[in-house]
Amino acid sequence: MSATTEHTLTCRMQAEPAALERLCQVVRVRGFRIRQMSADSADGQLTIGLTVSGERPIGMLQSQLEKLHTVAQVSTETTLALARA
Amino acid sequence: MNGAQHILEAFQRHQIDTVFGYPGGCIMPLYDALVDAEGVEHVLCRHEQGCALAADGYARASGRLGVCIATSGPGATNLITGVANAHRDSIPMLVITGQVPSALIGTDAFQETDVLGMALGIVKHSYLVTEADELPAILEEAISLAQQGRPGPVWIDIPKDVLLTDIAAMACPSAAPDIAQAAQSTLTTTAPPCPDLSDALALLHNARQPLLYSGGGVGLAGAEAAFRAFADTSGLPGVVTLKGIGNHGKHSPHQLGMLGMHGSRAANLAVDACDLLLVIGARLDDRATGKLADFAPNARIIHLDADQAEFHKLRRAEVALRGDLNTMLQALTQALSNRPLAIADWQAQCRTWATTKGFPAADNEATVAPIHGPEFVRQLSRITPDDAIIACDVGQHQMWVAQHYQFDHPRHHLSSGGLGTMGFGLPAAIGAQFARPDQVVINVSGDGSFMMNAQELATIRRYRLPLKLIILDNQCLGMVRQQQELFYGNRESQIDLDDNPDFLTMARAFDIPSLHIERSDQIRRGIETILAYQGPMLLHVAIARDDNVWPIVKPGAGNREMLDEHQRNRKETPTTKTSKETAA
Repeated sequence: MSATTEHTLTCRMQAEPAALERLCQVVRVRGFRIRQMSADSADGQLTIGLTVSGERPIGMLQSQLEKLHTVAQVSTETTLALARA
Repeated sequence: MNGAQHILEAFQRHQIDTVFGYPGGCIMPLYDALVDAEGVEHVLCRHEQGCALAADGYARASGRLGVCIATSGPGATNLITGVANAHRDSIPMLVITGQVPSALIGTDAFQETDVLGMALGIVKHSYLVTEADELPAILEEAISLAQQGRPGPVWIDIPKDVLLTDIAAMACPSAAPDIAQAAQSTLTTTAPPCPDLSDALALLHNARQPLLYSGGGVGLAGAEAAFRAFADTSGLPGVVTLKGIGNHGKHSPHQLGMLGMHGSRAANLAVDACDLLLVIGARLDDRATGKLADFAPNARIIHLDADQAEFHKLRRAEVALRGDLNTMLQALTQALSNRPLAIADWQAQCRTWATTKGFPAADNEATVAPIHGPEFVRQLSRITPDDAIIACDVGQHQMWVAQHYQFDHPRHHLSSGGLGTMGFGLPAAIGAQFARPDQVVINVSGDGSFMMNAQELATIRRYRLPLKLIILDNQCLGMVRQQQELFYGNRESQIDLDDNPDFLTMARAFDIPSLHIERSDQIRRGIETILAYQGPMLLHVAIARDDNVWPIVKPGAGNREMLDEHQRNRKETPTTKTSKETAA
């Protein structure tokens, strides 16, 4: 069993109608759970703060989020190892 | 010009001359505009799933954008399987659906479904057009996006009122050159700069047993010529994925065939033994790798792909290079032609495996009955022209085609790889015939899969397509039966199809002549007859019920654990509970 890790990400994306759904679906499908989420909208852009947990490498989620056409940037802020799942 | 007319104008401007669709309530403005449109042939399929899969087959065979159109609600939901199929196999597709009028969205209106939400996981991107003036820019972007980089389906959901709204001249591409130029530039842009290949070359030169592992990305990038030049210059032995079949061409001395669950022993042994794997345009799918911990256990990995997200997803690569495969392969070829690899012993070993550990052939034409699937496919491969396009469905027949048909080009092999969609073959073959009207197009199907989209026989009839239809009929769901036999204690469950319709009568109902064969001495004549017929024809082939696809690797096991026929452990009489008995 792999260790669960918590990660904080910031994502900048276009504020289109399905923006948050797209983001959340990718997080879920790629094996992570959202622990905390915030979103600010300005000038047609969304800035989304995400705290997610999962056992898979965060780089895999980051590259999948970056594939979304309306995502401009994803950055990983912090990583925190949690107790074994 | 209203929204619907603008869509058709955009089709003409982008040389989109063939689309597959089915009309209905909310998409009717587009069908009304179609009456006056020139230069766009609309192919009316008989089910929206058929439309999407035909568009998929069109794109696979031609390399062009496949387009499908449907109405809201059930029209859109019926597209889902076909769009998911295109998504999993990275097929360029534009999907257009009508939606209920803007004011009714969210009111549970007649034939309203949340298409945007429903399709999120199966598209490269999607749009709901909320303002009519946004439609031109969205169309341009969608057409470009579906084809650039790693291709995929892009879905535009358009409310009926948007289709009917006059679009301001300012919004049209002719008056908005930035949008049009931006979209066009993504299609015609020169290849991106080639990444630094020195690390990859160092690994190649240091390896003693390097192996080439290629997938569908080679054909999608139109990099077949560059790939073959590289394979020839490097002399690397090569294995292919299901989607990579045809990459090497049928006469290459370097290839070991398909790897994986139903791969050749030669391919799986080479992967097991290699010390370097050069992965080109492939995503290390689980059907190809088997148990990851046992996959290529001694190998370092070089991974070349168009999609950054595929790197390190399942197996860490020592060198991962994103870019245009043509550019990278040409550069590697140039480098290796100056300094060849010294791998003669390894090449000899792989040639021995290729000769002695290929796919098992029950290639005995003297056998009278029953017909064995592999034997039929081998004869089909020998008789058909080199440029014939073979579509198949999903199941045992699909694997026999992958194993035993010698393909000269990846676009000649239309097979549902990622999604594994039964019912893919018939509509995909229809799409391929529209894309390649002068080539022989054959659909090889099983009796289970054929019934999944049999309504498209009406499309063949309507357009008088000269398709050749082959049903390998074993009166059961053979692949499920095989796995029940091998891995579920031979307990057969819901696989019996011995109450199939009379396929010959069925074909006749659509004015398609047919021929039935059941002995192997009839195979050649059967194939030659349907090929010679000037029009669509069905060849119904009765095959043995209990034939299996060999080798097979148990799902979840490592690829070195290949089972062959001599390891078959059948009980005398299978424990069978048929669907008919259940119903009774």
